Amino acid sequence: MELHQNWKAFFAEAGDISRFTSRFFVQGAKPRQEVAEFFRQCFIIGYKSLPLIGLTGFIMGLVLTMQIRPTMVSYGVQSQIPAMVGIAIVREIGPVITALIFAGKIGSSIGAELGSMKVTEQIDAMEVSGTNPYKYLVVTRVLACTLMLPVLVMLSDAISLYGSYLGVNIRGRTSFAFFFKVVFNNLDFSDVIPAFLKSFFFGFAVGVIGCYKGYNSNKGTEGVGYSANSAVVLSSVIVFIIDLIAVQITDILGLN
Amino acid sequence: MAKSTISNVKLGVFVTSGLAFLIFLLYMIGKKQNMFGSNFILKARFSNTQGLMQGGNVRFSGIEAGTVKAVNMINDTVIEVEMIVKSKMKRFIPKNAIASISTDGLMGDKLVNIIPVKEPAAFVDENDILTGKSTVNIADMLPRLQSTNNDVAIIAESLKRTVQQINNSTALWKILNDNTLPESLRQSLKNVHQTTIKAGEIVNDVQQMVAGVKQGNGSLGTILKDTTLAVNLNKALLKIQSVGDSADTLTAKINNMVQLIQDEVENGKGTANALLRDSVLVNKINNSMDNVEKGTQSFNENMEALKHTFLLKGYFRKQQKSKQSTLSNKVTLK
Repeated sequence: MELHQNWKAFFAEAGDISRFTSRFFVQGAKPRQEVAEFFRQCFIIGYKSLPLIGLTGFIMGLVLTMQIRPTMVSYGVQSQIPAMVGIAIVREIGPVITALIFAGKIGSSIGAELGSMKVTEQIDAMEVSGTNPYKYLVVTRVLACTLMLPVLVMLSDAISLYGSYLGVNIRGRTSFAFFFKVVFNNLDFSDVIPAFLKSFFFGFAVGVIGCYKGYNSNKGTEGVGYSANSAVVLSSVIVFIIDLIAVQITDILGLN
Repeated sequence: MAKSTISNVKLGVFVTSGLAFLIFLLYMIGKKQNMFGSNFILKARFSNTQGLMQGGNVRFSGIEAGTVKAVNMINDTVIEVEMIVKSKMKRFIPKNAIASISTDGLMGDKLVNIIPVKEPAAFVDENDILTGKSTVNIADMLPRLQSTNNDVAIIAESLKRTVQQINNSTALWKILNDNTLPESLRQSLKNVHQTTIKAGEIVNDVQQMVAGVKQGNGSLGTILKDTTLAVNLNKALLKIQSVGDSADTLTAKINNMVQLIQDEVENGKGTANALLRDSVLVNKINNSMDNVEKGTQSFNENMEALKHTFLLKGYFRKQQKSKQSTLSNKVTLK
């Protein structure tokens, strides 16, 4: 009975999220865009997340290089470390790690922000005052997430590769130019384009889940905390699911 | 409003840098595939491309010159490889250069290597077709290597056995451990050396001798060279022959004579025959001999008698004395 209830709740939520998402497209297409609010959100979501994402990206690049190094050395393909790390970062680690950190930072903040607005009935007040709260709050944030995450992913890739370059130089000695020459020689359009495109979906998913959880927050103070928490958890899971779908699509398209 | 302007600048920098990196990344990849810059198309035909793929590197004398644009089947045996080559390489690649497919490293990607040949030729133009040459393929090489390995293994096995036999042989080790052996060997070699020197000297001498003989020096030379000697020798030989002939006649004569003598002795009436044949004579001779014996006996008696005669007694006594003195001398000496 409980299982039945759980399944029912799961599908109910899935349907709810779908409707919420379709509402985004409907509302977003309507004229009179909230441009100033959109840019403000871009600044908060994109620019303010850069230090955190840059740090994690840098550490990922460095650590990945140092972890891979012994194995590569034992196979005698030390010279291919930049190639391997470059492909790993650009294809997978850059987008996914960035999206996860992004989900942790932005998903939770959107969930908490909208949740507290909901709890304090600010959203209802907005509706009364004639502003479309969905358009003002949700569309701007989701758009900002969708457009900012790819930029963050690109910057994170760059910082990760620099971290990887430093990682190579801890044990070995490689010139900056040669390192990036090897990296770019082994990269292909099929490595960059799918990764770049899927990061839009990651951003969109994080934005939508964060907004949904906040927008549908329960009454009470613990409702805000719950929204923030479940926004992070769900958006992280959705990021991985999108990643799974993306890899299938790139495989079918032969972009490997 | 001022705050929003600042945040807009920051946001602009943020977005621009992000997109700049994306564009840079795409540009680098595009540059690798020779999408930008001026390029020209070169073609090469092969019978086997050994797994060359689109995007593979093209090298001219080992320098990165471009990438493979397409690999097309022309017919069942000819494959045309279309290459995008940098325009700046145009003035280095001659028309008669040879394109071959090789491997980047031992097991790396396949690439096209354009190698110039020594004969001078004009430089390539757009869409020129280079001669393709198939090179050694590692996959083809491995089975041959395998058979070589087997041979090597067999050889190593027999070598091992030989070495073991050598190791087990005490005689050889004794020889090897013998410290005097090198010395004697050296001595022997020295002897051989000396002998050779001697032999050389002898040969020299012989040579000189032969030379001398040729020139007619010495007796041998004269023998060999002197024509008068030869004539003399000839004469001597002729004489020897005639002597031999006369000796023959002489022996014949002697033979006859002996025959005659024999006949005479056997059938004649001479003394010899009588001696041989006449028994009366033999008896007579016997008697005579007896008489002679008797005569000598009586003569001996006469002589004994004479010894005792006073006339000769003194002489015999003296003789006896000297005999005795020599005997006593011998005894005293002993």
